[in-house]
This record gives sequence, structure tokens and C-alpha cells, in this order.
Amino acid sequence: MQYCFVEGSFADLARELAEYLHVEVGDNLDANLKDEVLKKLVTASAGLNSYPEKEFTAAYNLLVYLVMQSPSVNMFLPRICENLSKPITSAPVNGAGLALNVLTTIFNLLQPDNEVRSNVFTAILRLVKNSGNFETLRPQLKKLDTWIEEWDLDEEDQRKLFGQLADVAEENGEQGESYQYVLKALRTFESAEYSSKEAQDLSLRALKAALVSTTHFDFHDLTSLPTIQALSDDHSEYSELLEIFSEKELEDYNDFRDENEDWLETEGLDNSVLHRKMRLLTLASVAASTNSKELEYKRIAKALQIPVEDVEMWVIDVIRAGLIEGKLSQQKQVFLIHRTTYRVFGEKQWREVATRLDTWRSSLRAVKEVISRERQQAEAQKERELHEAERKIAGASGMGAGRRTIGGRENMVEMGTD
Amino acid sequence: MAVDLPSFLHLARPLAPAAIGVQPTTAPVNVIIQPQAVFSILDHAIRRDIRDTQSTRVIGALLGVRSEDGMEVEVRNCFAIPHTENEDQVEVDVEYQKNMLALQLKASPREVLLGWYTTSLELNSFSALIQNFFASPETGTFPHPAVHLTVSTESGKEIEAKAYISAPVGVNAERAAESCLFIPVPYEIRYGEAEKSGLELISGAKDSENRAAPVVSDIEGLERAVDQTLDLLDRVAEYVSSILDEERDPSNALGQFLMNALSLAPKVDPQDIERDFNNHIQDVLVVSYLANTIRTQIDLSQRLATATLTMGGTDALAATGGGEGGERGERGGQRGGNRGGRGGGRGGGRGGREQREPREPAE
Repeated sequence: MQYCFVEGSFADLARELAEYLHVEVGDNLDANLKDEVLKKLVTASAGLNSYPEKEFTAAYNLLVYLVMQSPSVNMFLPRICENLSKPITSAPVNGAGLALNVLTTIFNLLQPDNEVRSNVFTAILRLVKNSGNFETLRPQLKKLDTWIEEWDLDEEDQRKLFGQLADVAEENGEQGESYQYVLKALRTFESAEYSSKEAQDLSLRALKAALVSTTHFDFHDLTSLPTIQALSDDHSEYSELLEIFSEKELEDYNDFRDENEDWLETEGLDNSVLHRKMRLLTLASVAASTNSKELEYKRIAKALQIPVEDVEMWVIDVIRAGLIEGKLSQQKQVFLIHRTTYRVFGEKQWREVATRLDTWRSSLRAVKEVISRERQQAEAQKERELHEAERKIAGASGMGAGRRTIGGRENMVEMGTD
Repeated sequence: MAVDLPSFLHLARPLAPAAIGVQPTTAPVNVIIQPQAVFSILDHAIRRDIRDTQSTRVIGALLGVRSEDGMEVEVRNCFAIPHTENEDQVEVDVEYQKNMLALQLKASPREVLLGWYTTSLELNSFSALIQNFFASPETGTFPHPAVHLTVSTESGKEIEAKAYISAPVGVNAERAAESCLFIPVPYEIRYGEAEKSGLELISGAKDSENRAAPVVSDIEGLERAVDQTLDLLDRVAEYVSSILDEERDPSNALGQFLMNALSLAPKVDPQDIERDFNNHIQDVLVVSYLANTIRTQIDLSQRLATATLTMGGTDALAATGGGEGGERGERGGQRGGNRGGRGGGRGGGRGGREQREPREPAE
């Protein structure tokens, strides 16, 4: 697919650009010396960073266009990327945008399966990280999986890429996204590397992020990762803590904290944050374990180790965290549960899902039966009405016939009342 | 519409001076296309005149609205522009375009010129020229980027579309005027509920022999929707049962999601539902009763009206009166005859009681 349309020959264009950049290219503009000329042009293009911003894009586009025609494109591109990563002095506000624009153009002009694309993408990521433009990048990241496939990256490169994305996201205050990319990076490890230093570091990073995050409550994604499971040998405290957060309740956490107070401190894990999160999770567990769909305030207070007055505040916090849904009844001092999150989603829960699905299905079938019956009736009714109308029309054409029916009906009434 | 685009990246648009007081921006552009614009383009492609031009494509202008920050462009409408292409030159009827644009803008003042479309996916140097025409300050969308939409219209193949904006190339003005770099931008075909069901209906005709699809009534639509939901439920139930039979690995997130979705049903007592339903059904009955009454009234008045019409003229009116009178008279006669007959019967049976007969009403 050709995107770029420029009038003129390579020689003419190169000469114009050379003039613009104030470099001598000589008269040797034969086809076989293209690379020589381009080398000079690319070297001089570092100066473009101080050219007026209005002309910047057009000039760079021309340069890229020329470079793309060379058989040894890959030689020049790293240099151009490097130049673009430097600040553009003439455009303090839009500099990053201008550089991104040129980089994306290079990216798009390269064939999709060209692996240089991944290098250009890395340069783009670097720029995005420094300029805080993650918002604009995010919608495009959907295609990441396709790209990785196209570039045919091996595990290590993929991990590097995901790590970089995680950094970019973190830098721009997107903890959730960052965490997802760390997870993706973790999934790239082969079974032999599960206990390697790199894998452990990344695992700990993911684990810490998940523990202190205020929005992340499902730890199943972590416990199912083999790299995280491998932590139990060298970092037994962490795996113990993870277990508590994924399945156990507040009391277990309190015991753990009393035992490992120093460790928590050295690892920089804030007890108040963890404690609070554990309370929220405990309430979810308690709500999930009741069968009656009603939870007395007293039970909540006991499970969370809080005074009864504070129960409502905590319940509201848990609802806000999206773990449960329901209604508080102050009059009856109970919490009516509509929906709960199951921290352990076992066979029992799946059975529950299955029965609910069955109920829904059967009721929907009944509804369908009613609908089809009504439809058939409506159709029959319509047909009857049609016949009626036809008969009326036939009756109206001959007045006498119409009169007779009226007379006859009148008679019937008369007979009845007489 | 399934779209399989070659992958590209769009992070920034070329810088262009914006209106005073607004910071020039390089924010990316996102194009939204309404289906009626696509239909109109396809229609144009079908009706193209192939007699006196060699080109295999037609072009036209895109109209629509642009968000305030210029990041979102919504194509709502378009019109065709006559043009001819041959080997070394392209001609666009600029005068026609100008007049048509003025008329369109008069009809819908909120829309603006957004760019242009063509009915082949190919970009060529003529595209660059036309693009520059549409992006120029005098005749185009400057300082906003002009959107170029290409739609493939080869019959028998999937319809594909691509959207582009452009950037200048070159270090001097003459060069830039003749050159153009197309930047692919993401686009989205967005339609509302009503349009979606309309499109579904139309695509229903695709597989039938006579290329026609009947319009479904409300109740049929409801039935179909219930069928669809049942199908989906069957699929989910199958998945759940395969997990319960330990044929598949369970996914916590999926289970939780299903559970949440299934908990959405409100919890109400059957008694409450019964009460509410009964309250509601009374309203419905009243409405249907009133509707029936009105229908009877209409029937009646129609009958009267047609009765007048069949007789025709003022004579007819009198005649109708006479007829009605006659009818009434006949009825009266019938009644009288009835009674008379009875009386006669009695009289015939017992002659002696004939004198008592007139006294009966007095009793």
C-alpha cells in the first residue's frame, strides 16, 4: 500500500532537501550513490529540531520518503528515531506531538511484518513516557497482540515490551493498566525460568501492586500464575500473605501481621492499607457465606472487629468497591444482600450458576409459549376480522341483505324482552 | 461490517494553525461514520456512469459535524461530485461541488464539509491532488484536516473501508502543493438501535431467493428475540455444565461475571407481582374497552357515510330518509303484525272472550 505521493525524481528531491538543510551533496546523484547522499542528509537532519514548527513535518516527511526508497532503510532509521527523541527546541508545546507524528509515519510506512517496526514502536513508547501522552496511545494498544504476532517477537522481547508498557503506564498514573502489563510479562516466562531472578522480581512487583491497589480485589489471576506459585520457596511471607488475601479472613491477617511486623515494614507494605482491604474482603466473604440473603449488623461488626455504629460506613465502602450489592435496613438492623462476589469460586458456585441458568431458561421457554400462542390467536383473530369485513362489504353492496340482518337482529331482541 | 485493516498507528495529526485563542494541537483524529453515508456512497458506486470515463471510481464530498476540539469527526451525509479521470489528468467539477455544498449547508446548517470519499481502496497521485484540493484553505477544510474515505465496491467481495488524513511533504511550497502523505486514521461505523434493527432486517434478504425480507410485527420480533436469548442461554449452560463435568478449566472471572449477571434479576415476592399485575391489567382493560367503544363509533359513522354515498345527491338524502322511515314503518308493521297475529289466534280459539280483550291494557 502506497501512502506517499510526491512529484519529482529522487535526485531533485534530495537536492532540494540538501539545500534546505545547508549541506553539500555534490553532483553524484546517481542511483547507486543514494545511500551516500542519504547518509549526509540524515546526519544533517539532527538540525531539523530547531527549524520552525510549521515546516518541521513537511521536511521530515520528505526525508522519510527519501529514506524509504533506499534499499538499506534499516541503517538510517535508528538514527532518525534518536534525533526525534531529542527535544524539539522550536516547538516547546507541540514538540512531542510533532515527533510522534513523524514516528508514526515511519511506523506506518514500514511493512507490517518488518521487525524494525518494533524498534520504532519502542522509540514511540520512550517518547510517550517522557511526554505523558499515554491517553493517546491507549486506544491503539488493542492491536498490540497482532503486532507481536506480526513482528514475530520471542518471549524475551515480548517481556521487554510489556515491561516497557508497564513503566509507561505507571509513569502516567495508570496503575491498573500497568499491573495488567506486568501480568502479561509474567506469562511469557518458560517453565525453566520460573524461579529466575528476573521472574521473581517481576512477580513481586505484580504482587505488591495488587496488594496495595485500592481497586484490585480478585487475586485469582495471581495465584494461578506459575511464576507466583514459585515464590513460595524463596519468599514464603509473600505467598502466605497472598493466600490470606485470596481466601482467608481478617483474623488470619491479624495473626500474620503480629508475627511478621518487621517484615511488613522492611518490604514497605503499609499495614493500614492492607488492614482496610482485608476488612472489605472479609465482609464479602461473610456476605457470600450466608444463605438467608440477610446479614445482621452484629455479625458484620463481629467479623470486621468494628463497633456496630461503624457497620454502615464499612458496608457502603464495600459496595463502592464493587464487591457486594444490597440494601441497608436501619429499622431491622440488617443488610439485605442482592449480589456478592465469591472470593473462591468453586464447584458450589458453578452449580448455583447452572441452576439459575436453568430457571431462567425454563421461565423464558414458558414466556415464549405464551407469546406464540398469543401470536397465533392474534393471527386467527385477524383472519376472522378479515372475513367479517369481506362479508360486510358483500352485505353493503346489496342494501336489502343488510336490512334483513338488522331486522332479524331487532326481532331477536324483541323476543327476548317480551 | 467486518473490517480487517492492515495494522497502523495513529497518535498525532500534523500541526496546523488553529483559530485564534485555541491552542494548535496534534491530538489524534477519530472518524465516526453513520451508516446512511455509507449507503449513499454505495448507491453512488452502483449508479456510476461508465460510458464516457475510464475511471473505475467515483468521488464525492463528505459532510457532517466536528467536535469542538476537532478530535472527533462524524460523517453524516455526502453528495456525489462528477469527475473524469484518464491517464494523465483528472478533472473535478469544482463549480458543481461549490453550488451543491452551498445548498447542502443551507439545508442543514449545522453540518460542515469534512472531506471526500472515493469508491476504490487504491490511493494514487490523483488522490493526492484531490486531497490537497479538499484540504486547502480556500476550497477545503483547512485548518482542520480533510478526511479521505475509501470504500471498496467490487461486487461479490466484502465491503472494506479506510480513512485517511493528510500531511504535507516537501521543503518548498510548489513541491508541497503537488505532493501528499496519507496518514491512516482509525474509524468506526456507529449506528443506533433503530438503524441496527433496520440493517438486520435488510440483511435478512441477503440469503433469500427473491431478495425480499418481510417486515416483522412487534410480536414476531419479540418471539425472535426470545429465541435468540434462549440460544445464548443454551450456549452458556453448555459451558457451565462442561465445567461441572470437569471437562474444562473453570475461569473465576467468567464465573463471577455470570453470577453478577444472573443476580441482576430483581428479587420480588410472587404476591407483589400478582398485585401489581392485577392493577396494571385493570388499566389495560379500561383502555381496551375505550378503544373498542371508539371503534364502534367509527364503524357506525362510516356506515352512515357510505349509506349517503351510495344514494348520491340531495334526492338521495330524501330517499334515505324515506328509506329509514320505511324501515321503521316496516318494523312497526312487523310488531303490529306479531301482536295482531297473537290476538287473532286467541280470538279464533275462544270467541266468547273477545269482549274482554280491549280491557287488558287498562288492567
